[in-house]
Amino acid sequence: MPDNAIAREHKSIAMTLRDQRVILLILIIVIAIIVGSINPRFFGVNNVVQIFQQISVTGLLTMGMAMLLLTGGLDLSIGSIMILSGVVMSILITGGTEQTASSIDSVKSVLATDNGIVPVPAAILIGILVAFGCGIVNGIIVAKSKCAPLIITLGMSGVYYGIALVLSGGKFLAFKMAFEPLRVLKIGGVLPVTLIIFMFLVVVTWFLINRTKYGRRVVAIGGNEENARLSGIHVDFYKIATYAISGLLCGIAAILYATRLDSITAGGGSGYELDALTGAIIGGVTFDGGKGSIVGAFLGVLFMGLIKNSMNVLSVDSYIQTIVSGVIVVVAVIISNIDNLRKA
Amino acid sequence: MRDIVKTFFGIKALDNMTLDLYQGEILGLVGENGAGKSTLMKVLSGAYQPDSGTIIVDGASHKHMTAELSKELGIGIIYQENLLVPWMNVVENIFVGQEISKHGLMKFDEEYKKTKALCESIGIELNLNKTIEKLSVAEQQFVKIIKALNENPRILIMDEPTSMFNLEDAGRVLKIVETIAKRGVSIIYISHFLKEVKQIANRIAVIRDGKSIRTYDNTKKDVNLDAVVSDMVGRDASMFYAKEVHEIGDVIFEVKGLKVSPTSKPIDFDLRRGEILGVAGMIGAGRTEIANAITGASRKYGGKLYYEGRELHISNPRDSINYKIGYITEDRQKLGLMLDAPIVENLTVVGLQTKIKGAFVNVRNFIPLVKDTIEKLRIKMSHPMMVVKSLSGGNQQKVVLGKWLFTDSDLYIFDEPTRGIDVNAKTEFYKIMSGLTKEGKSIIMISSDMPELVSMSDRVLVIRGGEIEGILEGDEISENSIIRHALEVGENENAG
Repeated sequence: MPDNAIAREHKSIAMTLRDQRVILLILIIVIAIIVGSINPRFFGVNNVVQIFQQISVTGLLTMGMAMLLLTGGLDLSIGSIMILSGVVMSILITGGTEQTASSIDSVKSVLATDNGIVPVPAAILIGILVAFGCGIVNGIIVAKSKCAPLIITLGMSGVYYGIALVLSGGKFLAFKMAFEPLRVLKIGGVLPVTLIIFMFLVVVTWFLINRTKYGRRVVAIGGNEENARLSGIHVDFYKIATYAISGLLCGIAAILYATRLDSITAGGGSGYELDALTGAIIGGVTFDGGKGSIVGAFLGVLFMGLIKNSMNVLSVDSYIQTIVSGVIVVVAVIISNIDNLRKA
Repeated sequence: MRDIVKTFFGIKALDNMTLDLYQGEILGLVGENGAGKSTLMKVLSGAYQPDSGTIIVDGASHKHMTAELSKELGIGIIYQENLLVPWMNVVENIFVGQEISKHGLMKFDEEYKKTKALCESIGIELNLNKTIEKLSVAEQQFVKIIKALNENPRILIMDEPTSMFNLEDAGRVLKIVETIAKRGVSIIYISHFLKEVKQIANRIAVIRDGKSIRTYDNTKKDVNLDAVVSDMVGRDASMFYAKEVHEIGDVIFEVKGLKVSPTSKPIDFDLRRGEILGVAGMIGAGRTEIANAITGASRKYGGKLYYEGRELHISNPRDSINYKIGYITEDRQKLGLMLDAPIVENLTVVGLQTKIKGAFVNVRNFIPLVKDTIEKLRIKMSHPMMVVKSLSGGNQQKVVLGKWLFTDSDLYIFDEPTRGIDVNAKTEFYKIMSGLTKEGKSIIMISSDMPELVSMSDRVLVIRGGEIEGILEGDEISENSIIRHALEVGENENAG
């Protein structure tokens, strides 16, 4: 179901409380208040900005994943696509320079054009196109083979990861501070431009799903694929388009990733696809497709980011953090699924 | 069984149904589609609980059955559908759920021996080590029979056991059925093939609209099938809808040489402007396949379609929508609706391709657009943003039709338009259909509902075994003539 103001107007308060998005929002506020009262630093502008920055990479991937889930699809290769895209960017910018301690010092103030293959903007564009292409390939295979996207994209994940390994030689590749301008650029001295890009794309995704014909068709396919086909919707085309858009988001996520870390390695993308999946599902997007919302998926990612940040602020041991995150994910999914439990 | 009543959403599927069964007899159970045969079976198996009535077995009466009780009393059912595990072999399938084992270890030898003995006792030859998927349809049917017999039933219900067979295999099944009955097992034999029933049944019970109508004695295998047929269809005039008569125009749509599969016989028929062409036939006769082939929902293997003399090129549903053909599919929940989506979203899902221009949309802006459709169909709802799941069956069906009205279709194909909806909703539906034809739209109506076919159709196409068996017009349209064409009765009795 789409985010819809009218649908909400016609719900009673009890119904509203069962909405995953509302539950999540309440949880987020409660956790924020508790953590903030223990450590007031939590509410500092810097920390809040940091939470959003920390979730920006996963967040973009989650937007793609949520769109795919709405069509009844799924892509487990988005982490690998992002990394492959980043590796391509790095090679085009630096010629494949390895990231070493000395290289960080030596190039600190130099914008890397010396041994680059193409100018930085072109490299970024090509990197994004690679990710877009990977999305299209996934989409075509899933749509045309009619096989389960879970296993197809798991296999493709290996393919893209392998290509990234071959291209990078398994090394840490440098970006030679090519993304430094993006990192330091802050609107009003506070809001990083990377954060603006992330939030802007969240809004774009929401708009695509809720305010375009494309989005309505995507939801119709997820809601009942056979009905969509009989209603004259070109099902395969829209599936492929959605995989392509998800790929595109992976490419943009690669930029944010490079901006934050300034280096990249083929193994760096593992875990992202599952984080994206978890975020979307906590946000109430269902596996069977057609149900869920972009706002929910965004809140899901925000919730996960908030938990991680809170534990840092409260200086929880990092090994313990992993356990706690896992437990909280399970609990959150159960709570957000409470409506279905009641029906059973 | 005494006075069994079972109601679904206000519709009586079984209406004081009473049946007797004697030991070792074969009772043929006949009735048209929807007469209540399968509901009756489900009551006996414990899948459905009757609203009232009793089931008496050996003098002990039971209010209702449960799966366990039904098994305990020795009631076995052989369903029409295949419920075997394809990748298990014959022996394993027969013992699913009641494996012979010792200390948790399977004893395949013993299972094999028992199966073999069973097969021999009723004269079935099968390779017991073959997996089900490698067996022919007929052999699979034998496996189902053996599986049921393995539970030592006292009552065996068989649903259309020969429907997929050629004559020779069907003959084998009939022989086996007789052998089983001779061993003292009582059999309820459900079939559309009246000649078969006449051949083996001791008595024949006719049911119609959930009631038992009459039981014929057939000990001498000499029952009068004409009488059976008229009992199957004879209804009160009150069950028919009085359709308004109006002028029917020229031929507007033609189907020439349509083939729904590589081996099927070509089909030809035409449709006039403002006409309702009923399509009758028993379930499985191949009616839906014809609709699917016309609308591009599934592939067609030959033939041409013409609309107003112009050839239509349809290879997928999008093409047929562009030619303004609306297809109201049979299974609304599976094929026709997004159950979790709002009414307005469902109504506009086709219009999204045809009527709504531009790339940007807002579902809220669709609400005024669908207002006319909702009013015309009188969909009962509190708000267009209500999810379709919460509507009644009749209103859900109106939504399915609504999406085609919204996109201004010219030719409507209905597949079982009123299945599972109550009498009032049916009448409303008929009014809407009449209204459409008055506007000059044409309708192809596939239906298993006899009164509906007889009262709504201007002509009726009867399909049997994927072929057109007859086209009935005007006074020829009656329940009796339809069922005669749909079943194999009468004239060609000697031809077999």
